[in-house]
Amino acid sequence: MTAPVLEGRKEVAARPRRRPRRRTNDRLVGWLLVTPAVAYFAVFLLYPALSALYYSFTDWNLRSAASWVGLANYSDLLFNDVKYPHFWKSVQVTLQYTLIAVPLTMVAALVQALLVNSIRRGANLFRLLLFLPVVTAEAAVGAIWRWLYDPQYGLINSVLGLVGIPGQNWLNTPELVIPALAFISAWQCGISMIIYLAGLKGIPGTIREAAIIDGAGPWQRFWRVIVPMLRPTTFYLLVTGVIAALQVFGLVYVIFSGSGRSVTGGPEQSGLSYVLHLYLFAFRYDAMGAACAMSFILLIFIMIITALQFRFVKQEAS
Amino acid sequence: MSRVVVRGAAVAVLVAGLAACGGGGQGSGNEKTLTFWMYQDRTPQAGQVIEKVRKDFEKANPGVTVKLVKIPKDDYNTKLGGAVASKSAPDAGILDQPLVSKYALDGTIKEVPAGLIDESAFYKGALDTNRAGGKLYGLPADQTCVALFYNKKLVPTPPKTWEEMKATAARVHQADANVAGMNVPKGDGYGAWMFPGVVHGAGGQMVDDAGKKVLFDQPPAVEALQLWVDLLKSSPRKITDSDKPFENGLAAMTISGPWDVPTIHEQFPDLDFGVAPLPYKTEAAGNIGGEDSVVFSTSKNADLAWKWLVFLTDAQNNGVIADAFGGFPVNLKAQVVASGPEQAAFLEQLKVAHARPAVPQWIQVNDEIIAPALESALTGKATAQQALTDAAGKTRSLLGWTG
Amino acid sequence: MTRARKASIYVALVLLAAVSVVPFLWMLATSFKHGHDIYTKVPNLLPVDRKTGEWAATLENYDYVLNVGGLGRAFVNSVWVCLILVPAKLLIDALAAYSFARIPFPGRDKLFVVLLGGMMVPTITLLVPRIHVTQSLGMFDSGWGLIVPNIASVLDIFLLRQFFLSLPSELEEAALIDGASRMQIFWRIVLPLSKPVLAVVTITSFLFHWNDLVWPLVVLNDPDLYTLPLALQQLVASPDGGRAYYIMAGATLAVIPVIGVLLVFQRRILQGIAFTGLKA
Repeated sequence: MTAPVLEGRKEVAARPRRRPRRRTNDRLVGWLLVTPAVAYFAVFLLYPALSALYYSFTDWNLRSAASWVGLANYSDLLFNDVKYPHFWKSVQVTLQYTLIAVPLTMVAALVQALLVNSIRRGANLFRLLLFLPVVTAEAAVGAIWRWLYDPQYGLINSVLGLVGIPGQNWLNTPELVIPALAFISAWQCGISMIIYLAGLKGIPGTIREAAIIDGAGPWQRFWRVIVPMLRPTTFYLLVTGVIAALQVFGLVYVIFSGSGRSVTGGPEQSGLSYVLHLYLFAFRYDAMGAACAMSFILLIFIMIITALQFRFVKQEAS
Repeated sequence: MSRVVVRGAAVAVLVAGLAACGGGGQGSGNEKTLTFWMYQDRTPQAGQVIEKVRKDFEKANPGVTVKLVKIPKDDYNTKLGGAVASKSAPDAGILDQPLVSKYALDGTIKEVPAGLIDESAFYKGALDTNRAGGKLYGLPADQTCVALFYNKKLVPTPPKTWEEMKATAARVHQADANVAGMNVPKGDGYGAWMFPGVVHGAGGQMVDDAGKKVLFDQPPAVEALQLWVDLLKSSPRKITDSDKPFENGLAAMTISGPWDVPTIHEQFPDLDFGVAPLPYKTEAAGNIGGEDSVVFSTSKNADLAWKWLVFLTDAQNNGVIADAFGGFPVNLKAQVVASGPEQAAFLEQLKVAHARPAVPQWIQVNDEIIAPALESALTGKATAQQALTDAAGKTRSLLGWTG
Repeated sequence: MTRARKASIYVALVLLAAVSVVPFLWMLATSFKHGHDIYTKVPNLLPVDRKTGEWAATLENYDYVLNVGGLGRAFVNSVWVCLILVPAKLLIDALAAYSFARIPFPGRDKLFVVLLGGMMVPTITLLVPRIHVTQSLGMFDSGWGLIVPNIASVLDIFLLRQFFLSLPSELEEAALIDGASRMQIFWRIVLPLSKPVLAVVTITSFLFHWNDLVWPLVVLNDPDLYTLPLALQQLVASPDGGRAYYIMAGATLAVIPVIGVLLVFQRRILQGIAFTGLKA
């Protein structure tokens, strides 16, 4: 199915007239191929996003008609700390989380992928085992990590005790909540790992062999061959990882909410992520207009961050 | 070529299967379908009870089908919000008590028709959770409350007053430094939800009856918060932050509701515990909770929907329905199904239970203002008075109140 | 590779795998436990009696979730949805991604940036307008309502585009010169070379839709159409957070197909790319 198939096709086309036709053809085919995705995008993303944009300029509780309030939601969110006392706190929580969780998750994923990629025997098994955190039921994830971080019986405190570090009340000490959450996200890095694995498999053996012939050691090979060749993958994981981290919700919800636990995002709002805050306003405090405004503030922020990444982070392999 | 055919056939089968699972037949003629939204069943037995009541209703009303849509409790308001916004709300459904006033004020739910029920047949406290602006907008389905759970080994007789409670907690912690006297609530949404019951225990209120004046910066509320702060001395969080501290014998007392009783019996059969009314300072008091049921304005079968709600709350059915929902009956004549010494304490507590303030933005005040204030006092960042004065000021500005 | 290095790699892998596996084992063990054996101070990774430590596994939880919890029908519904949704989505995404990566058409890059923008709006805000759209298309409370509103993914298009970009373009250029059409190149060169990333997309999108709770929750009212996560949620008594053993039994059943899909498709990830025919 791969390259050799082409051998038989050489005589098919008439070469001289091909170029101009190719261009019009590309125009048509290019658009044709993206049409289904673009249609979906228009109906299920763009239109909903535009109506959300409209609602962000209104006061809307989901039940009565929305009433136009202009920019009031935006200015209140940013400047009125009586109406939105925890808005800036949620921004701070989310930025901290992103700064810790994204690098941690990517490094964990890359290390796991490199390790799995460097062995033959048992590679299938290890890859499956390392992927299990992603498929484990959320309820189990929440329960097990609350136990691991438990101040009385938790395994993490026991292990720390062995090396003489005093036990911590992880999920109930405001300063420790973000690192504790970031660690769980790194533990669930399985999807990033398999994406890195796919990337590693994409590095042509010839390039690797060339490096070995040049006398590069494993460390040099890593920095001079693997890292540059993985750049498109790393770029993808960085961009999507940052976007996902800025929108973190499920993890916080599983650890801190539900089953009679606090809905307000952990001790002293230390786990009140931006989107959890948004969710509370949308569906708990009946302020969908403000929630929509929050999502556009976030959108603008994410766009800037992403644009900066596209501008300053190298994405092509080299 | 044959592979293409096989693939095509596979797709056709898939599509047919999907169409089959998508086509729910609608009844025609004079058959009527009533849709009722409720929380997921608490237990398999509860599911059977509700199913039986549903069948009884259909038997009594030929041609009527009641469709029960059961929704996970944590996601109920999200789904309901989306449905109301897109005009696809059910005929009737369960509604959280503090939401009734909001939904009533903007016309999302119907007013109870005059003469539908005999109001004197209901517990007043439970019925009052359905009132907004003096009018009745729903029927209570069940009622519940929280009370004091105590470990009989560590606490032979439950404390009745705040002073006894503090002394008991101190004694327990002194006897064993690894055991906390009390699982003190935290400054989070749940803790703030329990707080008003304690304030009432000192003869106070969160807001005045007219719903115009903030009162939780007054002495009763400050004393209530000081009680929690004082209790922390004999109840370090390092112990109570562990998972299920009361159940595991690490905390001698905790506050919870009737729903926890069967769970503890089932999962911690060795724990010898009792339930007593909440300790108080000047008068016995507590919180009321539970579910209300309402009819949505968009319903085309409103008469039938009211009939169904009346059926759920009549003397014959309300006992089993309330039990299935995990609470107690709201109809004075209905039989209390749950038995056992624990239930007596809850029934006692219900007699003195107060509804939460009927302020439309109360949930937000609870989560965003009161909870952080409680936490700042509990962590020693502010005194109880400072924290509550600050919170009261914020609440006044948020609600635009002057008092 | 030296022996010592090899050994240290395996040691590292075993440690990492242990951390990954423990919660899974706990889920598995809990699903076979009696209610009174669940809470132990130190979690027990085997279904044993809390006091005696003797083996005390039970199948009651499975019996309950299958016969009372309505998990069987939900399972079938979920299978149908994923069988249609995942391949259709993969095709739509791959076609678009290829076009974005390789075919120069006017407005391409701008369009791609707009699409990326759509990925950045928090989905919670889009929930209510999406319900509107689904209703006006007549798909509310139906199987189609689960599929069509999820039939493409900007995230996947982005991933596929990045991968296609990383493929050496010499091969495609050669084919173009030889007169192959774009579609021929897509089917015969690009897709076969992209098996690893296609497998990744299949796994992740299957995983997402198999576990998705929020969208089925808002779009379905008919219990006969409930998908697995919805049915699973119904098993738990909420306020007491109590019956973990039922959830774990349901969750264990739900994870079996996921592992199946994983085993089938992770092979593809490993297959790698045959570059041998490429060297010109």
